[in-house]
Amino acid sequence: MIAYKFLRRDGTSVFTGFRWPLSADAPGAWVDAPIDPCRSGIHACRPADLPYWVGHSLYEIELDGDIATEQTKVIAPRGRLLRRVGAWDDELRDAYTRMCADRAHELALGASPPLEQWDAVIEPSVPEGPALLGFVAARIAEERYGAAAYDAERARQSAWLVERLGL
Amino acid sequence: MTEIGVQSSAAGAEDVELVARLRAGDEKAFEALVTRHYATMLAVARTYVKTRAVAEEVVQEAWLGLLQSLDRFQGRSSLKTWILAILVNKAKTRAVREGRTVPFASLAGQADEPAVEPERFRGPHDAFPGHWRSYPGNWGASAEVAAEDRETLRVTMRAIAELPPAQQTVIRMRDVEGYSSDEVCAALDVSAANQRVLLHRARSRVRAALEAHLDG
Amino acid sequence: MAEHISCQEVIELVTDYLERALPSEEASLFEQHINFCDGCEWYLDQMRATVAAVGRIEEEEVPPETRDKLLTAFRHWKRT
Repeated sequence: MIAYKFLRRDGTSVFTGFRWPLSADAPGAWVDAPIDPCRSGIHACRPADLPYWVGHSLYEIELDGDIATEQTKVIAPRGRLLRRVGAWDDELRDAYTRMCADRAHELALGASPPLEQWDAVIEPSVPEGPALLGFVAARIAEERYGAAAYDAERARQSAWLVERLGL
Repeated sequence: MTEIGVQSSAAGAEDVELVARLRAGDEKAFEALVTRHYATMLAVARTYVKTRAVAEEVVQEAWLGLLQSLDRFQGRSSLKTWILAILVNKAKTRAVREGRTVPFASLAGQADEPAVEPERFRGPHDAFPGHWRSYPGNWGASAEVAAEDRETLRVTMRAIAELPPAQQTVIRMRDVEGYSSDEVCAALDVSAANQRVLLHRARSRVRAALEAHLDG
Repeated sequence: MAEHISCQEVIELVTDYLERALPSEEASLFEQHINFCDGCEWYLDQMRATVAAVGRIEEEEVPPETRDKLLTAFRHWKRT
């Protein structure tokens, strides 16, 4: 199965610091993941999961073995990085952040009465980057319309990413 | 970096050498060993018996017990695991003699103890309820915690000494001595979940003390 | 339906997370939050730094009477 994985700028896993084998032109080596009660296997994103895990660098990953699905990720016992998704660069990160901020303003200020307190958090959050703004927009959608709107906003974010990244 | 509790394991080269030195009558080695484990052993003993004075007696009995059975130490477990077993044995015996039945968990402290004061988070009627009003410090950038700063060590030691007994015992056993979660639960006769609550509260208090010291 | 947790909830889960005692879905919510929230990422690092600091404390004083008693016992044990 082909999936996606965000890594830190230095090619290590965000939560475990694991250094993924990478190759310039070819897929990286296969990695077998230890089974562990709290954090088993290799975690990866389907396109719908991307907004929840936005990070610095994005890779395409090939997963193997019995794949388990959770709400916002898939987990496999084996995986290897295929290629870096070069389209996810500083420019696109900023564009995504701005898109989410604009959506957040639209959602907050379009409410009756406007959600002023919620709107006030948006711009100060921008320097913290795309992952936060994605949450902010979805959270404001939820505040305005309810829990289902949180998911819907995340789905919108995913669609934006899939289109811009050519996935 | 993920946390891995130190699991009990067989005696390493250090332990084997230490036991050899004890058998050879090396007083300095014995004194160093006693000093290294004293505070934790006292804390553990204290959870079983009525007074500090009795706890000190229990610790002394444990060290005597260790010397008397030193010939039987085969290195199948680490020295500190072995010492703990002897200590708990002595403590339980003493507790029975005292007729003490107070369960350890009752020493836990207040029912509810937030890790961080609620005022530092946005309120239920604010935007983004439950989120930080302002962020805690980024210590990754601070040299003081990274380096072995003497004042930081002092603050840490003082914070540990001021913990409620049950919390102090658990954090000493886990984070000072490196006993595994299973060992702590067995020695103190607490569930894994209760042990984690005590550890959480202890670590949270020490963090708060460090924060007050570092961030002013 | 996807959920999310607040900073106030995250800080209470830190120890369970470090102990690997969080069920998989809850660990996932925890990590999602850490991923977007600098404040909680720094807090998690503070807790790790706290554990490291605790691990570095030096031995505390053994009461002199206790030390003397034990040394006496050791010398006695040596001779037998």
